[in-house]
Amino acid sequence: MGFSRTHPLHLVLGLIVWAVWFVVLYGGVSVACKLAPPDPAAGALTWINTLLMPLTLVVVALLGWTAWWCWQSAETEPLRRFLARTAACLYLLSALATLAVAMPMLFLPPCI
Amino acid sequence: MSDRQGDKAQLHAQFERVWANLPGVGTLAAVNHTSVGLRFIVTGLFFFLVGGVLAMLMRTQLALPEQNIVGPELYSQLFTMHGTLMMFLFAIPILEGVAMYLIPKMIGARDLAFPRLGAMGYYCYLFGGLIILSSLLLNIAPNSGWFMYTPLSSSTFSPGPGSDFWLLGITFVEISSMTGAIELIVSILRTRANGMSLRQMPLFCWYILAMALMIVFGFPPLILASILLELERAAGMVFFEVAGGGDPLLWQHLFWMFGHPEVYIIFLPAAGIVSTLIPVFARRPIVGYRWIVLAVIVMGFISFGLWVHHMFTVGIPQLAQAFFSMASMLVAIPTTIQVFAWLATLWTGRVVWSLPMLWILGFLIIFVAGGLTGVMLALVPFNWQVHDTHFVVAHLHYVLVGGMLFPLIAGLYYWLPHVSGRMPSNVLGAWAFWLVFIGFNVTFLLMHLTGLLGMPRRVYTYEAGLGWDWLNLLSTFGGFIMAVGIAMFLLDIGMHFRFGRRAPRNPWAADTLEWAVAMPVTTYNFISLPTIRSRHPLWDNPQLPDEIERGEHSLACIQHERRETWGSDAVTGRVRERVHLPSNSWIPLQAGLALTVVCLGLLLKSYWVALAAVVVSAFILLRWSWHNGGHPQAAPWRPDDPCDPSLHSRTSDGPGRWGMLLTLMANGSLYASLLFGWFYLWTAAPQWQAPEQGPLDLPLLLCSGIGLSLAVGIYHWLTRQLRRGLSSRLAGGLWLVALLGAVHAALLVWVLLAAELNPTGSAHDAVLTVMLGYLLFHGALAALLSAMQAVRVRRGYVSAALPYEPLVLQPFWSYTLGVFWLGLAAFILLPMAW
Repeated sequence: MGFSRTHPLHLVLGLIVWAVWFVVLYGGVSVACKLAPPDPAAGALTWINTLLMPLTLVVVALLGWTAWWCWQSAETEPLRRFLARTAACLYLLSALATLAVAMPMLFLPPCI
Repeated sequence: MSDRQGDKAQLHAQFERVWANLPGVGTLAAVNHTSVGLRFIVTGLFFFLVGGVLAMLMRTQLALPEQNIVGPELYSQLFTMHGTLMMFLFAIPILEGVAMYLIPKMIGARDLAFPRLGAMGYYCYLFGGLIILSSLLLNIAPNSGWFMYTPLSSSTFSPGPGSDFWLLGITFVEISSMTGAIELIVSILRTRANGMSLRQMPLFCWYILAMALMIVFGFPPLILASILLELERAAGMVFFEVAGGGDPLLWQHLFWMFGHPEVYIIFLPAAGIVSTLIPVFARRPIVGYRWIVLAVIVMGFISFGLWVHHMFTVGIPQLAQAFFSMASMLVAIPTTIQVFAWLATLWTGRVVWSLPMLWILGFLIIFVAGGLTGVMLALVPFNWQVHDTHFVVAHLHYVLVGGMLFPLIAGLYYWLPHVSGRMPSNVLGAWAFWLVFIGFNVTFLLMHLTGLLGMPRRVYTYEAGLGWDWLNLLSTFGGFIMAVGIAMFLLDIGMHFRFGRRAPRNPWAADTLEWAVAMPVTTYNFISLPTIRSRHPLWDNPQLPDEIERGEHSLACIQHERRETWGSDAVTGRVRERVHLPSNSWIPLQAGLALTVVCLGLLLKSYWVALAAVVVSAFILLRWSWHNGGHPQAAPWRPDDPCDPSLHSRTSDGPGRWGMLLTLMANGSLYASLLFGWFYLWTAAPQWQAPEQGPLDLPLLLCSGIGLSLAVGIYHWLTRQLRRGLSSRLAGGLWLVALLGAVHAALLVWVLLAAELNPTGSAHDAVLTVMLGYLLFHGALAALLSAMQAVRVRRGYVSAALPYEPLVLQPFWSYTLGVFWLGLAAFILLPMAW
């Protein structure tokens, strides 16, 4: 089947990216707070938030593009079409979930 | 009798002879999935009853204020054992039992992929469960809550054997969850009926696939945590004690990394039952098949990102809490997708309100309410307010009883005719439903209010006049109504086998393949294996059961007394090989008994007995692996071996390889948990101390790693040759690999002995000791298994014509190499570079 748009691994890859990014956010914030905690008075505008938020947007964009790429599959064979369409929806949901989990970085300071 | 009927009877007699359990006590050697699945279900119901009795004792104690029917110590044992029994010994095993019973029948197979593994899992479950239960009878049951928080469960505050019973018993029982999960995944992916692609797979299989994968990744953190805590309690090693550089919060993290996915592990199969039953009783296909598949996959992942919402009050920074709060709210979305799909199916169908549908209705009401309070608890400020109150108790019971017990009973009623050949009683069943439904809501709906009024969990009594008196009395009243309902359900089931009216074939007019099986069910399920082109085989072809029974489909023959079923492509479902399955075997029971002695030896601190039992267990398990593939007791090479398709042991990618890969995924999850523990203690433990100089001899470790790398390199070369049909240097090569593996392991022992680690005084050294032990175990096992393969080559069980086993072992070597170098980088090199 090759690693085409219809490969079954696409059914889980988007959510694996979500999970990895979730760990990076949680672990990254914890380690960053240990190494160089920003001034609590700075609110959400700290180096940690301003570094992680744009990176999150990159991950979201990547997942969004992959969703579009899978959706573009021209497959007509029912099984392959099922895989490509389901994978596209899963990539899109992964993008939204990644964005949703990172949203609190806009409002909350990282280390208190 | 016509010739045709005579042929049919002869064919069935032949299949019955090959697939039947042994008579009398020989039934303990049964490995077929129908017997094993039913045993799981019956045993699960037994533990459910015991757990229910414990709940009634607690409710009796709480009925009135300041009672002393049950003292504080016994009360602590009761709530600990109630939670433990219901979660570990009832919910998961019974759902796995249902899955084990149903999955092969739903996918058109004759058995699960690893029958002996399922049978051993059952014995581990039974014996482990009895060990845990015995502690209650001896009045030494664990009493730290079902989540066993440290330091309460540590030796300082729980010096008795209660915690040990929990840690050893539950780890023992978890063997069964893990073996069940692995065999279910491989069976679903690799033994479906010809043509049953992923798109045509019954939704129940998607749910079980997700559940089983969650077990594979979700259970290892708890297994690791239990091993570490037992090592701390029994050997004094430091992991959770602050004084030596440990941290009690590490336990909470590891526990809830398992504990939260656990809720979904329980919910998913139950939701699978709902998604199976609703279309049948709505008389139409489910609305949004693809949306449900999508929701199941999303749920399987997102539910791993919620664990910290059980820890909102332990002092984690607000931003980190908010990540988990968002994830906790997100998980409601896939749940809602399923609820709307079910409602849409009911809305657009012609619903037949049979007995199972009553229980489904109860599920919809109660589970949705529980889900909504779950969203409330996902909000950090609200969570702080109601933490450790009866509100949480009410919420979790709404989710678990609503989300699991109601669908389970619906499923038991639905599939009961399959087992007994009789229909359930609508009258008794409806009475049972209403009593349970009303009793449950009287108990737990009011309990939300009790919690909001401030009553804490896990207190054995309370003062009068705090506003909780009438609520507790009514909750107890409701609890007893529910208990009467459950008793009526069990009475109904019991009477049904004798008095139920005879069920016609496919009595609910269902669409899935399990109803094509004869009723009561036979041990081989299908005399011939059909090709499937639709999601609703029985709706599209109502004659299919008769065609199957007449042997008109494929593989309707027995060759050399082998049990066989199709092995198929994981995606398309096209047949790839004939999977030959083991027959009745005493090995699973022997293994279960030997492991029980290991468990008891550790519990009684008779370590020599435990060690001897470990040796015996290892011998039994290796003997098990010996009776495989080309062994005369399995499928020795014969000139008339089928070749289109071949027997799986003649191929390079049979189910065993998939089983190995899944085992390694679980193993990897355990190793990742150890890495997490290392980094967590390093960054968060208040008194973490690492020596200036790393205690391990780096050059020696590098030599050990080079030996391992050479072994793996040679092994890969040998398997490449084998795939090309060349096996002339196989035996010698395998001996060389085994030797290099042994050198690697010996050097690791040297490193361990030379390091003079102090695991009882320092968490740093304790984690390093565990890590080295882990690597040593893998290196030694890989070497031993390779030596066995070399002997098998000499015996003719492995060859160019029988290349399967070395290819199954190959990922294990790669994994051993990976964890070694990763361990070296994370545990040795990174701290040096810091």
